[in-house]
Amino acid sequence: MNLIELSDYTVVPEGSGNGIKECNFSISRGEVCCISTDNPDDARLFLKALATLVHPLQGIYRYNNKQIDFSDKYNLLAYKKKIGYVGNDSAMVSNRTVRENLLLMRNYFEDSMSIELDENAMQLCEAFNILGRLDSRPGMLDHLELKVAITIRELTKSPDILIMEHPEELMVKGHSAFLDYIKKKFSAGLPAVFISNDRNIKENISNKKILIKNGRLSTEE
Amino acid sequence: MQITGQIGRKTLKSVNHISNLCALTYKLLRLLVQKHETGRALMKRVVIEQIYFTAVEALLIIIPIALIVGSMLIIQFAKLSGQYDLGKTMVLIIIRELGPMITALIVILRSATSVVIEIGYMNVFNEIDAIEMAGVDPLRYVCLPRLIGITSAVFCLFIVFDLVAIIGGYAVIWTTTYIPVGNFLAQIGKALTLDDIILSVIKALCFGITITVTCIYHGFSVKKQITNIPVETSRAAIECFFYCLLINLVISVLFYI
Repeated sequence: MNLIELSDYTVVPEGSGNGIKECNFSISRGEVCCISTDNPDDARLFLKALATLVHPLQGIYRYNNKQIDFSDKYNLLAYKKKIGYVGNDSAMVSNRTVRENLLLMRNYFEDSMSIELDENAMQLCEAFNILGRLDSRPGMLDHLELKVAITIRELTKSPDILIMEHPEELMVKGHSAFLDYIKKKFSAGLPAVFISNDRNIKENISNKKILIKNGRLSTEE
Repeated sequence: MQITGQIGRKTLKSVNHISNLCALTYKLLRLLVQKHETGRALMKRVVIEQIYFTAVEALLIIIPIALIVGSMLIIQFAKLSGQYDLGKTMVLIIIRELGPMITALIVILRSATSVVIEIGYMNVFNEIDAIEMAGVDPLRYVCLPRLIGITSAVFCLFIVFDLVAIIGGYAVIWTTTYIPVGNFLAQIGKALTLDDIILSVIKALCFGITITVTCIYHGFSVKKQITNIPVETSRAAIECFFYCLLINLVISVLFYI
């Protein structure tokens, strides 16, 4: 069964892109999809469309075979909660510390004010070497640390799917633990869609490749 | 024909804008009365932070302003009326009209503008998206606590302004000048009616809701360009002040005429 299925999906362009034109796409458990593109803006837009962050001009978005209604933003929250999205434009709430950001979802849904991260989050923070930055504001982190923190936030929400832009950035500066972690997750069946320029990721991790050219999607052989 | 078209377009735009503000107010008030099982602790914290910023930190500004305004008015009216009906005049001027408007102005300048900037910034830098991706409704996490916080703060600041302007103003005049002010405080006590207190509460509620909703709306109106933030902030500040003046006028007309 497809986890996400887009039919005849069209999204208006952002930046210098062509937008997404009448695309058909589906992803199910165990699939790891790598995107190549002639225009990074289109690839990013496609990821945002998958994350339900942009609304379609036309087309149907099905999540677990259920059609999503984009007319009410409130309805989308239940789907967004299950999607792990790490884009280059992803952010953390700047007037909260990294710890509070990581705890936002738990504190909100469990109605608590706990400041203790759960074991999984602590392990990831340790592996990614950001334990010392937990009580800093996101603005004090460099680009890589911020991306690491956002990735941890998205992974610890136990998503149904991971959508990520350039995961290879996390594999430099001693973040090789990330590769092991996501490989473990992918082998456990977590589907993923990512944009990557890294040949190693493309060849060794992904089992599905798609090309976005002039805003149109095609499967790469 | 062109002028008519322009007037028509402007009118439609204004009607659309007002109806959007009303829709946002309705949505927030509906959220306020709904019972939610999740996010209450987090919301409570944001409310407290907002009250601290809007009310407690504003005390350092509002107290001196209230003292200056109070003393100034007491001096002028004591000279003008020769103590006759001085208390009544002060209630009329400070509690009914000037107090609410000056308080609203201070809240607009200090807090409302910062709400537009904060939400605008969150919008531009995808922080609202980050909150949504956590499955959290930004209206509940960002907007509702600000509505509760600012409205409560406006009400508290009304009381502080009125008390400081009247009692503090009286104390300043009494200790530093020889102007006779008679049994000023007794006159105030006699002139103050239950209507004045109820109206203060109504004005605080209306001002608080209007200021917050206008600022939240303008904050979310900021498109993905940081240069839009000052434009929306300035628009929001002017609009808030205008709406507060209008509401003050309407309430005064309804209750006192």
